[in-house]
Amino acid sequence: MESMTHNQLLNTNTPDPASNLRRPISWETIETLLHRVQKPGRYVGGEFNAVHKPWDAVTTRICLAFPDLYDLGMSNFALQILYDILNRREDILAERTYLPAPDMIAAMRQGNMPLYALESYHPVAAFDILAISTAYEQLFTNTLELLDLAGLPIRAADRDARHPLIVGGGHGAFNPEPMCDFFDIFIIGEAEEVILELVERFSQTRTLSREAQLQALLGIEGLYIPRFYRADYTVANAFAGITPLLPEVPVPVRRRIVGTLPPTPIHQIVPNIETTHDRGIIEIQRGCTHGCRFCQAGIITRPVRERPAEEIIQDVFAIAAATGYSEIGFLSLSSADHTEIETLLQTLQQQCSGLHLGFSLPSLRIDAFSVALAEGLTGSRKSGFTFAPEAATEALRRCINKEIHTEDLLTIAEEVFKRGWRTLKLYFMIGLPGETDEDILAIADLAHELRRIGVRFGGRKTEIHVSISTFVPKPQTAFQWEALADADTIARRQALLFQNLRGRGFKVSWNKYPGTSIEALLTRGDRRLNAIIERAWQLGARFDAWDEWWNLDAWEQALTELAPESFGSVEALREYFMYRERSENEVFPWDHLLSGVERRFLLQDAQRSRAGEFLSDCRGICHACGILHHYANHRGAEWRCPLPKSSKPATNQQTTGNENQL
Amino acid sequence: MNEQNPTTLRMRLMFATSGPLAYVSVLDLGRLWERALRRAAIPLRYSLGFNPRPKMQFAAPLPTGCGSEAEWLDIWLTEPCEPAAIATALAGTLPPDLHVIEITWVPEDAPALSELMRAVTYRVLLRDVVAAELETACAALLKEENVLRVKRGRRRHQHYDLRQLIETLSVTPALEPWTVALEMRLKAQAGATGRPDEVLSALGLADIPRRCTRTGLFLSSPAEAPDL
Repeated sequence: MESMTHNQLLNTNTPDPASNLRRPISWETIETLLHRVQKPGRYVGGEFNAVHKPWDAVTTRICLAFPDLYDLGMSNFALQILYDILNRREDILAERTYLPAPDMIAAMRQGNMPLYALESYHPVAAFDILAISTAYEQLFTNTLELLDLAGLPIRAADRDARHPLIVGGGHGAFNPEPMCDFFDIFIIGEAEEVILELVERFSQTRTLSREAQLQALLGIEGLYIPRFYRADYTVANAFAGITPLLPEVPVPVRRRIVGTLPPTPIHQIVPNIETTHDRGIIEIQRGCTHGCRFCQAGIITRPVRERPAEEIIQDVFAIAAATGYSEIGFLSLSSADHTEIETLLQTLQQQCSGLHLGFSLPSLRIDAFSVALAEGLTGSRKSGFTFAPEAATEALRRCINKEIHTEDLLTIAEEVFKRGWRTLKLYFMIGLPGETDEDILAIADLAHELRRIGVRFGGRKTEIHVSISTFVPKPQTAFQWEALADADTIARRQALLFQNLRGRGFKVSWNKYPGTSIEALLTRGDRRLNAIIERAWQLGARFDAWDEWWNLDAWEQALTELAPESFGSVEALREYFMYRERSENEVFPWDHLLSGVERRFLLQDAQRSRAGEFLSDCRGICHACGILHHYANHRGAEWRCPLPKSSKPATNQQTTGNENQL
Repeated sequence: MNEQNPTTLRMRLMFATSGPLAYVSVLDLGRLWERALRRAAIPLRYSLGFNPRPKMQFAAPLPTGCGSEAEWLDIWLTEPCEPAAIATALAGTLPPDLHVIEITWVPEDAPALSELMRAVTYRVLLRDVVAAELETACAALLKEENVLRVKRGRRRHQHYDLRQLIETLSVTPALEPWTVALEMRLKAQAGATGRPDEVLSALGLADIPRRCTRTGLFLSSPAEAPDL
């Protein structure tokens, strides 16, 4: 039933395929759909601090898209940063769009209304550039839905210079191959460093064909333009490598980074309806030095760059005044690591007394220092204290490089309960490399032990919430060679855990395995998955992260139809992408995209994992991951990489000497 | 108008919403006002305790999907302010479709607006509806003694009588692109509040595109009611 695309519905068989998608949609027309849908406030714009510019007064118009609901997309800080950077320019206009919920999508399709941007209500197809977040794999089918709802051909090969340039970016772009047929360009790395270069160069290519436009963009570092590369496969259908098709095509494409964190957007858009993270945001630190081996973010956001406390304090007051938010969230991968965090919070508590302004700190470590920090945050006891030990045994924590010891964890839990928290949330992964049933039973034992401590200090109302996710091996990490645990193993271990975590005071939640397995398939996929994603979408797959909307049958059918061609069977395809342990010499579909952390380093770290060796936090000693080698010239004052031992200033010379410190 | 009482710490804001802002819920509207007042640095009085909230009271919750020409909001302050000073401070801190019409002093001990509410008028603009047919449908509805409808948001299906909540219902002409305007006056008291979308459903117009605007709030005591 879904075989007719929105393109055909919009009847674009005219000489200019997009001519009826150029004019803004009137408010009266949008309003005709709103009485029929849930939460109509998602589709109307009109927020305080949204930027409205005259359409004809600029040379380049960019639509920033998050391919999921407004409620989630408004909480994506990357898009806020880009919105701010782009709209500061007089010659550029940036607007926003999100994927409507299924009820609104149905109403729009029925009413022949294309997807529009929330500021000017121009159809998305009328913009020069459409930048879509590829933050994670569950957004992939939504991306196709978004393109189609915009009236755009979903495949890059079917678009030309009359259509917007489709640009992807975000953490998912560190293996964009499963989506490479749909995008023109992926930004590898920190888009705030590249976006203006991209826009400026692109605006000089208006009269060219799309192919020529993309060739003109080849010189910009950090842009990956998939059509200029060919993927090869062996006779046994294994991925064999990527070959550039033109002499000027870069291999590898190296991630762009900012040396110093750019200024915080102050005039943050204040949503009119409640969103997932309804607060002001300040990124206090980017990157992480802990080196957890499962964590992709910890690799692809290196090095650690801090925002100075003084600047954060100024931002707090500026954002509070510009938005009216009563809560500011500090964004980072490990808040307690910020070198000035303690004085920062103390200063803010003094200066903000009586202002009814609260702060939230995500991702605290498991240590006494973090407990003390959390205690100072107003209202933090309501939601419970969070620990993320990820694994319950010493052996498994050595494997994943999470350096926490059970006795310390118990002591810190005691502190947490003594100071009045009644709920402890625990995050664990199952299906980790080398995991045994004993490791699972240890999770239950630990939860019981923690509850006993809680009851001793806080009484029988103490609750332990255990959240279990299935480990998914991610590209660009030390675990990229590992296999995904199969469905039977995960089902058995989940059951084992539930049997041992029954009764009062425990709450257990988990990710459903079928959803996890789709993520696992896509995250280490290659170009052959484009057709499968497209087919799954045609069959109705979308909102893959939403329990109430996602469609496993569509995925199963797409795999059944298309797997045999390249792999012989669905089982063989799953074995190839998910359940197979890769050899040291494996050629990965993302080898041509360089995060700055060397494959050599990741492989050594994988070997340390098998040997049960911790690798220390790299603030103290450099483990030569490759960042200092690749980005020596970017080094700023707020980096937390150790300075090289040589007397030469790091910023002037190549710091390859630093690589040999180990 | 209220007596001028420059020492009171309670202020009444009359405001209008339209366009996109008609599509937010009443909870959203409260949050939105709190943030606008904070941006304007109005000294709001906060509740004590775990999760302090500013003390604010709407006269009657505005249904999602309705704009309004005249809403009332009472706010409490920590220090006296001139209405004109509040108006000046709010200029530039309000979202595009929120407009302040009037700000007045209210005695601290005045009853809550919600206790005084009696009725609300709405204008619903409709497309593709023929005036004569709608007039017939309205007349038929008004002739009914009871119009039972299912209460929303309850686990068990409970019914209420919509007819008792409809005080007046009439059809007037409207400008393009609308064909008619449905004017209605509905009861608005604790436990007996009519909703315009329920009236539309009862008229068989549940799926018809509309623009709904609250045109007036009516209070029980004229002494307390600002002029409409």
